[in-house]
Order: sequence, then structure tokens, then C-alpha cells
Amino acid sequence: MKRRIIAIVFFFLGRGFAACARLDSRVKREVGRWADGTVVTLRVAPSGPQTSWGVNDGVFRHLGSRPVESTLLVTFKNPDGALPVFLGMKGVLQAFAEHRSTLAGDISLGMSVVRCLHIVEGYLFPAVMTRRILPSPAHREKPMIAAYALTIAISSAPVFVEGGAA
Amino acid sequence: MIPEYYEFRNSTKILSGTRAIENIPFELTNMKVTRPLVLTNKQLRSLGVADVVIGALEKGLIPAATVYDDVPVDSSVNTVNDVAKAYADSGCDGIVAVGGGSVLDTAKGASIVITHGATDLMQYMGSEVLVGDRMVPFVAVPTTAGTGSEVTSAAVIKDTERHVKMGFVSYNLLPDVAVLDPRMTVGLPPRITAATGMDALCHAVEAFSCRQANPLSDCYARAAIDLIREYLPAVLAKPKVQKNRLAMANAALLAGVSFSNAMVGIVHAIGHACGGVAGVPHGEAMAMLLPHGMTYNLDVVGDRYGELLLHLAGPEAYCAEHPADRGGAAIEAVRALNRMLHDKTGMPLTLSQAGVTEEQLPVIARTAINDGAMAFNPRDAGYDDVLALLRRAF
Repeated sequence: MKRRIIAIVFFFLGRGFAACARLDSRVKREVGRWADGTVVTLRVAPSGPQTSWGVNDGVFRHLGSRPVESTLLVTFKNPDGALPVFLGMKGVLQAFAEHRSTLAGDISLGMSVVRCLHIVEGYLFPAVMTRRILPSPAHREKPMIAAYALTIAISSAPVFVEGGAA
Repeated sequence: MIPEYYEFRNSTKILSGTRAIENIPFELTNMKVTRPLVLTNKQLRSLGVADVVIGALEKGLIPAATVYDDVPVDSSVNTVNDVAKAYADSGCDGIVAVGGGSVLDTAKGASIVITHGATDLMQYMGSEVLVGDRMVPFVAVPTTAGTGSEVTSAAVIKDTERHVKMGFVSYNLLPDVAVLDPRMTVGLPPRITAATGMDALCHAVEAFSCRQANPLSDCYARAAIDLIREYLPAVLAKPKVQKNRLAMANAALLAGVSFSNAMVGIVHAIGHACGGVAGVPHGEAMAMLLPHGMTYNLDVVGDRYGELLLHLAGPEAYCAEHPADRGGAAIEAVRALNRMLHDKTGMPLTLSQAGVTEEQLPVIARTAINDGAMAFNPRDAGYDDVLALLRRAF
């Protein structure tokens, strides 16, 4: 059951991240700095679910839940440690500090991913949740409804052209 | 304070005291090591510091199978690979690392290469990536009293070709034995003694106030600060007194255990960037930035800093201060310590005195927000926050 819930959250988080990469200049700037070939995956051990994003040929994409070769892999040790994070009850950094997850790859890229996730969570979660999990009050450049609309409308592998408005 | 969840490990055996080095052969025998590789650098050899260890191994009938003394100031992947090759070529079965953070980090990197047969260390970058037992018995002999590397699970190694600073965090990197012998640090010059001591203080203060602080790491942090308060001034006044040196070595070790389990925060994130961008020595960066980092965090962890006043300034100063003012007083105690060290050793008090230029501040800020230590700071800090802090420290 917990895995199913996380899989559903990953579905929206994955799309929401891609939507924010179009909508929000801060996320756009962050992913614009990722090296070509970067693949970032959030995964729950031992058997998933997972969601990935990648940059290839200057294009940022949500890669969905399919298996990929990751350059940065964040693995939650079990669903119990992951669920509070993805239900908006605990911050990503707090979970990492508590050893709920491991990180394989460049830690500085991990910091960029965390900054993006904070912004994305600010769009996807209501204020009552973000107050608890975000390090500072959520600041949205666009209305939440715009992010929701794009999250729902966006295809599972949306394309974001680096540095431009897709 | 009890966190919702925490993990803690310090499995390193500690030998501390007079002639502790003479016990290394016994420890090697315990680990069935007969052909140790001694890892050090040329400066420590020329000063005769490493030879104290090499001589003790000979007297203990477990002489070094080979001595690798070409470790540079910053650990690099090429050096790590060279060490692993020397280890294999000489048929070694353990490492005795004698040096500061760079030498100990090189030993940790080499242990990864040897254990996992790694051809590309990058595969093992990150946090808690390494699995299985380490195949390399590892004795760490620190020659500074600051980094605490002899008891930490972290290592930083540069890939000079790809211009990547690789960070590794794993319990597998903890040395088996740490040896604190005052002969290793008794010859340190005053300014390095002061800077490394402030590095240790910064480890303790940040570990005590970061997201991962826990009751066990707190004990180590408090004990470290007590020793630093008493013995850092003492060691500068009487640098040849071995008791003072041993106390500071213990302080660095205690702070190392603390931050290895509770991590560090904004001061280290910015300090690493100051080192990388402007070449500021790490300990001096820690000393300059610590009061500014504490001031930045004061609203969030002021009560925790208030607890530290007891250890930073002693019971009388603690009792004399109103509880609401203790956090601020703790910061003032650090500033007072910095001023004393500046007067005694010439250590800089500001980034400009340390040679940082105003043009470098934005680059330092950009680098700092991507440093892993920032993840553990109790208060979020973005680019603008870090830049403002840097301007205050400038």
C-alpha cells in the first residue's frame, strides 16, 4: 500500500518537476546548469517505485518510472522512511540528515536537486504542509493552479529546452 | 534534545597518550598485518615526524613494507591510484597513515580502490554508497589537532583532470585504530596550532547545532569544547608541554566523532568554498566564519548555542548571563577567542585580511550553496544569504 501511494506521488512529482522547469525561472536556471547526460533518480528500496529526470542534448525531460542508468541516485532505505517525505510530513533534507536515504553521485548536484524539489513542493503542496517541510516559506512565481494545470496536461516525457521557453 | 531518529557509529579504537605510537605494532599484529604501507608526505619525513612511526614499526618487528611519502597538499585521485598500486606491488596488507587530513583522506580513498578494485573512484561518490567490509586494515596517526579525520567517515578527493571534488561518506571509511601521540603535534607552529584548534572548535559547535545533532554526538561536542577552552590558550602559551598537545589532539578527535555523526553546516560549506576559490587555509576560514555562521543561525538554534556558553566560557560566565542572552554570549565568546588568537599568532580576523577579494565573494557564495554541508545547516541559506554573510565577514 505504501509503495502504491509513493508511486502515485512520484507520478505527480515527476510531472510537477517538469512543469516547474517550464514555469519557474529558478528551477529552469537550476536544471540549465546540469551537465549534459545527467540523470537524477529518486528510488525506494528494495524494489521501487522510482522516478527520474534527465538532461540530454540540452533538453530536460521527466523520464518517468522506467529503469535508467542514473548519474545521481537517491535511494530511500524503505517505504516507511520515504512516505513522510512524499506526503509532505518531513523535509527532504531532514530525511537525508536522519539517514533515511543514501545518495550515489555528486553531492553538489544533490544540493541542486533539493533546491528544485523545495520549489516544486511549494507549488504542489498546500501552505499548511509546506510550512512544516520547507526551510523557508514557499515563494511561487506563478499561481499554483498554473503548475497543477501543466502537471496534469504535460505528457509523461515532456521536453524542456534549456534556456528557452518550451 | 532527542531527535525523532538518528544513527551513530564510532568503531575506531583509540590509543591516546605518551608513547602511544610504540603500540602500533601490537595493534597491527591484532589485525594480522605483517607488511604495512606507511603513507605520509615529504614535509613530515623531512621534519622527522613520520620517522617516529617508521622507527616504532621497525622496533616492533613489523617494519614498513614500503613508505609512500608523495601525498600532495590536496588528496587527488592520481595519488590514490598510485598508493593502491604501491600497496599491491609491495604485497602490503594494511595501511598506517601519518599526516593531516590530506594524508588520511588519501588512505581512505586508497582503501576504496584496493577493496573494491575500483578503476574509477567516481562510482563510489556520495553518501552510504560503499557496501561490504573494508579489506584494508587502517591505522591513522594524525599530525595536526584539528581535522578529526582519524575518526570520521568522510573523505574528499580531487579529480584534477575532470576538475571534480569527490565527496565520500561511509562508515566503511572509519579507520580501525586512531593513535594520538603528543610527539606528532609538539612541533606545530603557533598559527597552525591556532587554526587547526579552531577547526576542531567549529566541528564541535556545528555538530552540536546541525540537523543531525543527537545525544551521543552532543556528548562528544561538549567534551571537545571544554578541552579547547582550557588547552588552546595553554598550548599557545607553552607549545612544548606534551599534556597540552595531547589534550588538543583529544579535543580534535572528540569533535571529529561528533561531526562524523552529526555533520557540519554553513560555516564549513562557506569555508570549503573560501579554500577552493581563494586559497584560504581551512582552519583560518573556520575561525573567521564561525561567529558569522552562528549569528546567521541564532534565531533557529539560539538555545543550543546558549547551552554551549557553559563550555565556551565556563560556568561563571554561563551563570552570569540571562538564559535568553546566552546564545549571543556564546558567539561573543568565539569572537573573543578569535581576537586572542589574532594577537598571539597573527591569524586573520576578516576575509579581506586573509587575501579574499570582493570580486571573489559571489563565486564563493555560488560554490558554497552547492556544498553538501549546507544540507545539514539548521537554517536554510540561499545565494543571497551566503553573500550577505560573506560581506559581513569581509
